[in-house]
Amino acid sequence: MPSPYRVHQLLGGARLIVEPMPERHSASVVFMFGGGSRLEDDRLAGVSHFIEHLFFKGTRKRPTSKEIADAIEGVGGFINASTDKELTAYWARVPSEHLNLGFDVLFDIVANSKLDPADVERERMVILDELRMYQDQPQDLVQNLFEELIWPNHALGRDIAGTEASVSRLSRDDILEYADAHYRLPNLVVGASGSLDEQATVAVVKAGLSLRPGLDGAMAPVPPRPLDGPRALVRRRDTEQAHICLGTRAFSYVHPDRHALDLLNTVLGEGMSSRLFLNIREKLALAYDVHSFTQKHRDTGYIGVYIGVEPKKAVDAVNAVMAELRALSETPVTPEELARAKEFTKGRLRLELETTNGVAFWLTYQELLLGQINTIEEELAFVDAVTADDVRRVAGDVFSGAMQMSVIGPFARDSAFRLAIGA
Amino acid sequence: MADEAGDEEITPSEIAEAIRDCLELSEVDSVPNVRRYLGEALDAVSDGMPADFVAMTLYAALGALREGAPG
Repeated sequence: MPSPYRVHQLLGGARLIVEPMPERHSASVVFMFGGGSRLEDDRLAGVSHFIEHLFFKGTRKRPTSKEIADAIEGVGGFINASTDKELTAYWARVPSEHLNLGFDVLFDIVANSKLDPADVERERMVILDELRMYQDQPQDLVQNLFEELIWPNHALGRDIAGTEASVSRLSRDDILEYADAHYRLPNLVVGASGSLDEQATVAVVKAGLSLRPGLDGAMAPVPPRPLDGPRALVRRRDTEQAHICLGTRAFSYVHPDRHALDLLNTVLGEGMSSRLFLNIREKLALAYDVHSFTQKHRDTGYIGVYIGVEPKKAVDAVNAVMAELRALSETPVTPEELARAKEFTKGRLRLELETTNGVAFWLTYQELLLGQINTIEEELAFVDAVTADDVRRVAGDVFSGAMQMSVIGPFARDSAFRLAIGA
Repeated sequence: MADEAGDEEITPSEIAEAIRDCLELSEVDSVPNVRRYLGEALDAVSDGMPADFVAMTLYAALGALREGAPG
């Protein structure tokens, strides 16, 4: 089957991927830049996220945030952006006849933002409020603490938005310098999908590219150091529930066993037929919310479990989760579980690619981070090729690593938690 | 220790005594970590820790017994 997308190499090292979806009424555009919070040192922590916010405050052509929003919302479209640890993405989804407007607004905000000094100060206050808000949300805070344990003293272990200290200190010059170094053509992948004309789209993008070539001043990612051993971090808060994240380092997004890891995660803790849900919640009634999750980066990743539990059952719940991890390391999953996990994973991917936005993100993400694009058929074949023994082998591999656990709750001591994970 | 007014109060000394009785049972050593959780609970009672914290450690011991019990 021929690939439904085409990759176009553009001036200065930028790339454009186009996938026509002629049966749709919309088109989506994604501008994805390599970078993200991983490239920031302690002094610049949060600068990528700060820039992403500032790019929506006004450009020379559209001087206010309202004019930027109106341009897209005025035709019924959506515009937004997100900063991640290894990328920053700006996107618009519009009725297909307004695709050129979508491109125009996105080119405008990434290349012509004013970064007005008054906007910098106003946005600083907004981001500081955002950081303080996370402190009051134990489910967010416990995950941030968990990532600090997984990647100690490393940019990957830090909140994408930075710290109160770093955000308070960042100067407009820091922001301008960082944006100039990273918003460059070699760092850019543009994705477009939906009801569109491919050649016209290529022409619009070529005409709109005004970012600088080269990568002077851009920093390179530093790999995290190996973990010293298991650790438990208990943050005392008078919460009604205990919030716990535990897990260990796992695989990168280029690791050959990444699909087996995804299936392991599904069997373990995705959905209401997962082992954690059925055993920890339904059978033992230890926790209301229990699920697992993964995160993958270019050279590292993790698998983790979240437990929301009555404080007096907290350590018992951790022990029950540890027993589930051991069971997956020792005994292959049943054929029924593996089949369910595969259908779950394949179904989620298919649903994700139903929308023009989903397709544009899927293509740009792969091109930017992997340097190649797998079709959905290739990806589904990777999932189908995983065996029950692969899942057991991967479980044994990752769960023998140093367990890390963050806890938020009314606990004066951490000794029982440390005992539970051998820390 | 009592959860609500009207509950019959159990003193820390009585809880400590019950834990010490448990620690004398040979079954405590048949499952890993049960003795250590009971020891933690005893320390917590002796140090005047809140009732919920003591309960959490005792539940951990019970859970360890459950996980370690022969199927």
